[in-house]
Amino acid sequence: MPVTFHIPGALREFTAGRSKVEIEHSPTTLAEALSALWTLYPGVRDRIATEQGQVREHINIFIADENVRYTGGLASPVSAGSEISIVPAVSGG
Amino acid sequence: MIGQVLGHCRVVAKIGEGGMGVVYRAYDEVLHRDVALKVIKKDARLDTSSSQRLLHEARASSSLAHPNICTIHEIGESDGELYIVMELVEGKSLRDMSADAGLPPESVLRYGVQIASALARAHDRGVVHRDLKTANIVVTSDGLVKVLDFGLAKQVGSSIFEGPTRSLATLENTSSLSGTLLYMAPEILRGEAADHRGDLWALGVVLYEAASGRLPFEGRTGFEISSAILREIPSPLGPPVPPGLWAIIQRCLTKEPIQRYQRAGEVQAALEAIQSGAIVSADPGADVSLPRNTILHSVRHAHVRKGDFLLLVGTTKGAFILRSNAQRGRWEVGGPYFHGHNVYAMAYDGRAGQHRIWASTQNYWGTLLRSSDDFGKSWTNPQQAPIRFPADSGVSLKNIWQIALGRPEEPNVLYCGVEPAALFETRDAGATWSLVRGLFDHPHRARWMPGNGGLALHTIVIDPTDNQRMYVAISAGGVYRTNDGGLSWTAQNRGIRAMFMPDKYPEFGQCVHKIAMHPGRPERLFLQNHWGLYRSDNCAENWTDIANGVPSDFGFAVVMHPRNPDCVYIVPVESDEFRCACEGRLRVYRTRNGGASWEPLMRGLPQKRAYETVLRDAMTADSFDPVGIYFGTRSGQLFGSRDEGRTWGKILEGLPSVVCIRHAVVEDASGGLGATLPKAAVPAPSHQTKSVSKRKMRRTKR
Repeated sequence: MPVTFHIPGALREFTAGRSKVEIEHSPTTLAEALSALWTLYPGVRDRIATEQGQVREHINIFIADENVRYTGGLASPVSAGSEISIVPAVSGG
Repeated sequence: MIGQVLGHCRVVAKIGEGGMGVVYRAYDEVLHRDVALKVIKKDARLDTSSSQRLLHEARASSSLAHPNICTIHEIGESDGELYIVMELVEGKSLRDMSADAGLPPESVLRYGVQIASALARAHDRGVVHRDLKTANIVVTSDGLVKVLDFGLAKQVGSSIFEGPTRSLATLENTSSLSGTLLYMAPEILRGEAADHRGDLWALGVVLYEAASGRLPFEGRTGFEISSAILREIPSPLGPPVPPGLWAIIQRCLTKEPIQRYQRAGEVQAALEAIQSGAIVSADPGADVSLPRNTILHSVRHAHVRKGDFLLLVGTTKGAFILRSNAQRGRWEVGGPYFHGHNVYAMAYDGRAGQHRIWASTQNYWGTLLRSSDDFGKSWTNPQQAPIRFPADSGVSLKNIWQIALGRPEEPNVLYCGVEPAALFETRDAGATWSLVRGLFDHPHRARWMPGNGGLALHTIVIDPTDNQRMYVAISAGGVYRTNDGGLSWTAQNRGIRAMFMPDKYPEFGQCVHKIAMHPGRPERLFLQNHWGLYRSDNCAENWTDIANGVPSDFGFAVVMHPRNPDCVYIVPVESDEFRCACEGRLRVYRTRNGGASWEPLMRGLPQKRAYETVLRDAMTADSFDPVGIYFGTRSGQLFGSRDEGRTWGKILEGLPSVVCIRHAVVEDASGGLGATLPKAAVPAPSHQTKSVSKRKMRRTKR
């Protein structure tokens, strides 16, 4: 089973309008899955990560219902069938 | 078939053959006129109900009556042959004309306007073409465009490329579709409900092909073509294609229909604007090879013409473009652009005949530098952030605080001041940016401290008379100067206090809020510090306190009079703790003697409970005579004066917090500024406010 990314509306401009993107090969970590995502859709990369490769401060990534900040960050394990959500944090004025 | 009679038309000669059928020249023996006769191919034939729909569609199309639409006279069946009788159009197809290197931009615009006009008429009548392509567009010998096959593809092709069972495999196997696929919009490929905006996509493909002789999306197989349409961004079209035309093509080729032009009439108007030269960039060297992806929201645009006066307003929730003329009495408001983004920096670049607006945008998805060549109708939205710290720097871009143009003789040079404090430079009009290492590697950098707003390089001042000298201001690092084009930098803070440091006069570490230079006297600089007003008359070698009679020497903005090097405007705030207009009275202070004394300017400004703040880039002075001064406040009010600050009026209220204001005169063809204002023409500020408030009311009603 592929790994599925759920793409927020603000980024669909860079995923040809897709709200879901499936990664066919089998990434084992979030970093590998993200790398596959932006090989497909390069415009997504700089929106999610800084130029130093860190997930942006106010962007949260969930694998299923778990925020990866508490499960190992980019090294968080993903497995076949994982659903990954990219969500801007609730913040700002 | 030659010599046969279908209905009352005698077939004379074969003209051509397409996916739908064979086209003949024929003679209408009743009406005595030459006509084109299209005989529908057997394999594209329709069942009875489809045939009825085709008949219905042909009737609708025949009622379009537009000079750029090939008229359908009749549709009928004779001896088992389904045929369409049409106006005979003699000319060359746009496809043949565009082959090789494409057509000159003037021709593309001339034909594009006519095609868009034809689409506008059809769409208004509910007819969608669905098979617009250069092979379906004929240009007659006198330059008249005729769009063929209107409304036919919808029915004839329905069995092939509509319906839920369509797949890429069937597309690949349908050779008659190969020409059509190249023009097909992404939403059609995705199997979504398609509408007239699919025609606007196809128009984008047609314009691209006409301008360049090649197609924006290509591939060896149907799958490759579809994949390109769905995913790829077309290669940019550079000179001789004007940036404005490229922007229009890009907007037509936006993947999401909602972000395209919504009506063919809009494309027509945009093409006509370029055609009339109203907003076309004349710079053949302008770099258009940037990776661009036009992003557009449903916003109101200002309609800018040559000679107009613009205010570019950056706020904490987006950007606005205000348009007026040399009178500066009435304002048309465009925006908001970049909904919800911080826009800390904007700039207008009119060098070398271009009309480019720059803006920095920042939100949780990152920070980008963007530009528009059509006054905000479309903006770049690069896939990769153009300003980025190199990997070895270990830091990431947080915000862009300042966009500064290089010298007039270097129209491709720009600078950006960013947070964390650093300077970036481009020498190719923004295609590539590089970190200015001389400053980034300065040994002081590790000891710069962030101010309230972060550690930012927020001010860039270029010496117009010495191409090796420039200044930057950093909060909190102080003023730095280079005399060798950026290779090395020295701290230039002698005489500037640092109230928050044990040593009140350190070499660096001052929290400088703004510096300003008079271009006619570049050795002189004025400086608003975090506590302290200063002037230097020797290229920042040392600074003299000039807070002579101001209610507070705390403030942010400093603006020079464009002609008088002794005249400066500031807006003091009460204190570090209470960063609001002193005593709740909003007053601009002006010196006309280099800081020896200051006078309050308040006529027309609120003097009661006006706890306003004017931030460091939220004030600007235009070049008219008398000078116009404009400032925006943290509470979202925009004030202006057309008489050098003597009287003021409110231009707009209800904006998000204003962080940046820039002005521009859209140069006329002669390259001169707009007309100067005689003093008598300056109306009372109340008039200004009134006209604007009426406009606001109208806008609110919408």
